Amino acid sequence: MGDKNLGAAAKPGQHRPRPRSPNMQIYRPQLTSVLSVVNRITGVILSAGAVVLVVWLVAAASGPQAYAVIQDAMASWIGQVMLLACTFAFFLHLCGGIRHLVWDTVHGFELHAIYASGWWVVAASLVLTALAWGGRAWLGS
Amino acid sequence: MIIRSSEELPRTTLLKRFPVARDFGVPEASRISRGRTWPAPPDAVRIKSFQVYRYDPDPSDGLASTPRLDTFEVDLDDCGPMALDALLWIKNKVDSTLTLRRSCREGVCGSCAMTMDGTNWLACTRFISDLSASPTIYPLASFPVIKDLVSDTTHAFAQYAVIQPWLKTRTAPPVRERLQSHEARAELDGYYECILCFCCTSGCPSHWWNGDRFLGPAVLLQAWRWLADSRDDARDERLDALEDPFRLYRCHTILNCTRTCPKQLNPGKAIAEIKKMMMERHG
Repeated sequence: MGDKNLGAAAKPGQHRPRPRSPNMQIYRPQLTSVLSVVNRITGVILSAGAVVLVVWLVAAASGPQAYAVIQDAMASWIGQVMLLACTFAFFLHLCGGIRHLVWDTVHGFELHAIYASGWWVVAASLVLTALAWGGRAWLGS
Repeated sequence: MIIRSSEELPRTTLLKRFPVARDFGVPEASRISRGRTWPAPPDAVRIKSFQVYRYDPDPSDGLASTPRLDTFEVDLDDCGPMALDALLWIKNKVDSTLTLRRSCREGVCGSCAMTMDGTNWLACTRFISDLSASPTIYPLASFPVIKDLVSDTTHAFAQYAVIQPWLKTRTAPPVRERLQSHEARAELDGYYECILCFCCTSGCPSHWWNGDRFLGPAVLLQAWRWLADSRDDARDERLDALEDPFRLYRCHTILNCTRTCPKQLNPGKAIAEIKKMMMERHG
């Protein structure tokens, strides 16, 4: 937008730039839009997680010393929180992706189905994350 | 938690708006300042404060004009039940310069679509009692503003023209009308009722960011209305025009459109139907 012209009187035939009504700044967050944003963010987190995974594999291939360093980092509380976040992001993105696949077949578009599947994605991700970490603890003990 | 109809208001609200700064990504000319407060008449008992977006393209002092948010105290005992009644009460009794579009006052014409309490609806079918304690009223989110609550729909209607919303046939005109079976006619249900108020397009984040090239839910619903018409012979031509990374495929199935439609239609589903038809065409 040419903001600088705003003060000048509009010449004949010349349009004064119009302001735009706010959008994201005022629009109410809804399950629809929030889950869309979440799907994007979890995608970004998983991309970053994939880099960490590669670092871990490279360390494993480089020998026991390098592997011990990365294992220590992963075992620290920061590493554990990051792993937990990545697990949750993975399941959210997975369930969200399945929801989108179903939509691509033109099913589940009634508003109640949109909301129900949205909450199912959230609930299923929480349960799957709990199961994954519970299973890990059980196997580890 | 589960919304069954776009008519339903959110029961619990964690966030009234996304946690971003008020002026985040907003050009200077569109930033909104605090306006003045217009007090209720002294004898008013039941009062509701409406925060209304104001923009004057031709200020009397000739100086730069930027949008502002005025507060109007409305006497509810002197005013009809709908948001539109409150706005007209303001226009008749407080500030006659308040500018808005309205026509049918019964949800048929789509003129008074605006963003109230952060969601899009028609002012004539939204009860004042369903609005928050101090409701905000903006012109359609993300649309350019001509004056106050009058948004500039030029671009939206230009996008509507892109999909060529008329019957295209290859056969000779019949003696009387072109006939359609009851079943074929039923395919248009939920699509022909669109009143082009652009509530959905204005609520679509994809259209906020890519509105210059993405056609938006209202126009794509209309596109499907013609693709689904058994009398229309231009299916391939219509699909060719939509086969574009932006025009159709900027829809990421966010579904704010279906959530906000004041006619309870389903633009999200219409777009999915188009995408499916596109897939089937490729075999």
